[in-house]
This record gives sequence, C-alpha cells and structure tokens, in this order.
Amino acid sequence: MSSRSAEIVGVTLLGLVAELPRARFGLAPAHVRRAAWARGLRLSFERLGPAFVKLGQLISVRPDEFSDELVAEMQSMQDAVPALPAEVIRAVIAAEFAAAPEELFATFDDTPLASASIAQVHRATLAKPYRPVWGDALPAGADVVVKVVRPGAAESIRGDIAVARKLVTRLARTGFGRRFDPVALLDEFATTVERELDLRKEGQYADRFLFDFRDDPRVVAPRIVWPRTTSRVLTMEFMAGWRLSDLETARTAGVDCRALAVHGATAFMRQVFVYGRYHADLHPANIFVTPDNTIAYLDFGIVGFLTPEERMNITQVMAALVYRDPDRALKYSAELGVHVPQERIPAVRAGLGELLDGTTRPDGTRDFAHFGLGFLKLLGEYDVKIPSGYGLLIKSLATVEGVARALYPDIDIVATAQPFTTRILGRAMGDPARLYERMPLAIRAALRELVA
Amino acid sequence: MTDDVMRFFAAWMLTHEAADDGMKAAIRRGDEGGAEGMGGGPDAFVDGLAAMVAEEKEKLKADLQARARGEEVAIERPTDPALEEVRFEVAELRGRLDNIESLLETALRKLGD
Repeated sequence: MSSRSAEIVGVTLLGLVAELPRARFGLAPAHVRRAAWARGLRLSFERLGPAFVKLGQLISVRPDEFSDELVAEMQSMQDAVPALPAEVIRAVIAAEFAAAPEELFATFDDTPLASASIAQVHRATLAKPYRPVWGDALPAGADVVVKVVRPGAAESIRGDIAVARKLVTRLARTGFGRRFDPVALLDEFATTVERELDLRKEGQYADRFLFDFRDDPRVVAPRIVWPRTTSRVLTMEFMAGWRLSDLETARTAGVDCRALAVHGATAFMRQVFVYGRYHADLHPANIFVTPDNTIAYLDFGIVGFLTPEERMNITQVMAALVYRDPDRALKYSAELGVHVPQERIPAVRAGLGELLDGTTRPDGTRDFAHFGLGFLKLLGEYDVKIPSGYGLLIKSLATVEGVARALYPDIDIVATAQPFTTRILGRAMGDPARLYERMPLAIRAALRELVA
Repeated sequence: MTDDVMRFFAAWMLTHEAADDGMKAAIRRGDEGGAEGMGGGPDAFVDGLAAMVAEEKEKLKADLQARARGEEVAIERPTDPALEEVRFEVAELRGRLDNIESLLETALRKLGD
C-alpha cells in the first residue's frame, strides 16, 4: 500500500473512530449511527484535500446511491480552505503569462476574495478595454476577478483518483455497492473534475450562457476576458451583489426578491427545457442578487447537457409532476433510461402516486425537492439503476427550488414550471413528424369515444 | 346524416355548442388548476393546455381589436435563430483568437527571456 493510500485509509478510519461516542459505540439507533459515520466521513474528506472535497460534493448530488444522512452531511461540505500566500498565486500567473500581474492588469489585489480546494480568487482591474464574446465592452479600469488554480491541485486530484481507482476496484470485487458501480461513479467523478480543472471550459460555458440569455436583462453572468485566460487562470468581470445569505441588505436596498425568485427559477427551467445546457453546481455562493435587480449566475465549473430527446422527456416528467400523472412520469423516465422491471411497476407506480399526492406543503405550495429526491430514493429502494445525469438534474432542480425559496419562501416552483412545460409540450404537438405519427391514433381514439 | 336541411344544421350547431361547452369547461378547470385542483393525470394536462390556448386567444383578440381601432400593435418578430447562432460562433471564434494571440505573446516573452 502506497503512503497516500495508507494516509487515506488512516484519516478515514480515524474520522470514523472519532465518531464512535456519537454513535454510542454502535448501540445508538440506526439513523443516529448513520449520521455519525456520515459526519466522520465528511470531516475526513475535508482533511484529505481537493479530490475528496469534490468527491463529497458528487455524493451530495446522488441521493439515489447514498443514504439520506450521508447526502445531507456531504451537502454541508465546506469547500473553503486557508488561502495561499499571494506570492504563490503570483507565481502561477507569471508561469502562465510570462509576466507579473502588474504587467497584465492595471491593479492586482493580493488579498484573496475566496479560497477553495481547487482555485483561489483575487480582484484586479483591466489595463485595457476589452470586447468580450457577448455583451458590452469592458472599459479600461473595469473590475475583474482572477481565478487561479492552486498549484499542485490538479496533480493531487489526479494522484488521488489513481489511488482511489485501485481501492475502489478492490472494493468492487467484495460486492460492496451492489446497487451502484463504484468504478463507474469514480469515472464520472474523474471526468467532472478534469473539466473543472481546465478553466477555459468554464469561460466558454459563461459565454454561452450570456448568449442564451441575451434577451433577458434580468439574468446575467460574468463576461470573460480571454486575453487574460489560460487553462489555469480565468479572468472575468467582477459581479457586485449580495449572496443569498445576505438578503436582508438586498431588500433594504430595494431589491424585489419575490420577482427575482420567480425569474431565477424560470431562467433555470429555460436552461433545462429549452437549451439543454444547465448550471449544475448551483448553491447559494454561486448566485448573486445585484443592485440592478438582476440575478447573476457565477461559477460554471459543472454544466449538465441534455440531448433534444432527453430535454423533451424531462419536460414530460416535469409535466407529470405539475399535473400529477404517475403514468406519464414512469413512461418518460423509462425513455430517459430509468427501466423499472415489469413486475415492480405496480409498486413503483403506487409509491410515485403517493409522492405526487404528498408534494403539497402546509402553505399550499408544492415541494419539488420532496418529489424529486423521493423519486430517486424510491427507485433506489426497488434496485432500479438511475442513469448518470438524471440524479444530477433532479438535484439541480431541487437546489433551484431551495435557492428560490431563500429569496422568497412562498414560491411554488411547480406552479412556476406549469406554463413552461405546458407551452413546450403544446409546441411539440405541432411538429409535423409527431402529427404524422399520432394523428391516426388520435382519430381512432376519437372514433372509439363516439361509438362507445 | 339527415335529408332535412334544417335538421342537419341543427345537428351541426348542436355539435359546435357541445364542443364549445366542453372547451369552456376545460378552460375553467385549467384556470382553477391550483395546488389542489390538479389530480387528473393526462386530462389535467389537456385542461391546462386549453387554459393557455384561451389566454393566447384573448391576446390575439385584443391585438385584432386594437388594430381595428387603428392602434399600433407591436408584432413579435423573432430574429432568425440560425443567424443568431452564427453571430455567436463568430464572436466565440474572436474570443479564441484573442486567447491564442495572448498565448503567442506569452511564448514570445518566454523566448525573449
């Protein structure tokens, strides 16, 4: 066993042992024990570094694969690490551009704005005006942020993935993780992290987002400064605003949080149902409410993609929730790769019906998270494999609901989705290919009704 | 079908009336479809769709009436999506060229050192 493998195993075991008193040495009720082990794992992951912080974040979006306690614990994973000294960050910039930050920017602030496991962010101002891919030009002196990949982060993550691959392959042979394929999960993780390590990808997604929302002045994203961007350095417009944790200040400043909640949720649905490209790493730190009454989407490190067919099937599943139609949900989930064995369909359908009936909160609004996460859990209980991406999408929609509720607690995300999904499906009805396919059936059904 | 023309038109009218009543009822159900009103599965979707079509019809009616009064009506003329897409691709290409130019400058600086 390599020293890193030993360290991983050691830190994890120590983390679990430290939780023994909380689990009352195994004598506590099952859910208390599970919560204690989950906490131990989370603390160990935070200690083990960037790869494990990212792994924890991946677990937090897979309630279909992991226990509620583990998912909840990983959602509280802190991706904030002590900042690196400015000289280290300056050295990365110098290595990328063969120039000091002062030669590249009018000003560069050595005090970091934020420091996470993969990157550290500093403020700067542009030395020259720049015309971005989309949107108005940024003038000289414009405030920008410079995101810099921490030196060694990529190597450390790749190294840890290689070690984890050996451990996971061994684990898979023992039959652990019967319901999920740990090697496939690791592969998915490795692909996501690789994409996140190349900051140019993030810049491209931000550009595309700006283009997609070009007709909506209330949804914004930072403009990218390409001459000051490489795979390890991303320079983008500085977005001023309030985080969702600081909404009182925003309200005092006259921001209409209710309108922004509805608009923000609609904007997300537009990403999913219309464009098939969506921000898949939404959390309160990645959304700002700005003084101009706009919503700023930040950090496009993780983006989900959907094919036109997937988009239409997901719209159908959403319509099933809006109109409480379990058969529609099952039919189109199957199209998305969620194959429920024939003999389990009645049980899953019954569970789904209960979920659809139970999505109303005491205030009368409906709760997407209850439905979406409950559906994943239900499929897990019946050993139904969930395709990669499906869980992530449901989690993303649930997060959007959480974010919208933080802005305006009484928002009904399902009601917000109703006109959207109905319009899209209504539009699809006019598709000539679909008309050609369905018209004979429709006429037959109408005749059947007439002669019944 | 009947030979009596009056009878034929009466049947025709009745069919339309029944269809109209059915549609109005669907619109009403769709409009009422709040948190507790949507338990009808596929039928509920049809009602929701009918309510949205009715909204669209009211908009169209208002536009036509405004036009009849000689008022200016803003007609939504969506830009060609394919053309917009090309514009974005060109802009994206420009961004890439900016990026490549910067890489070349970096390479030159490194060579100069």
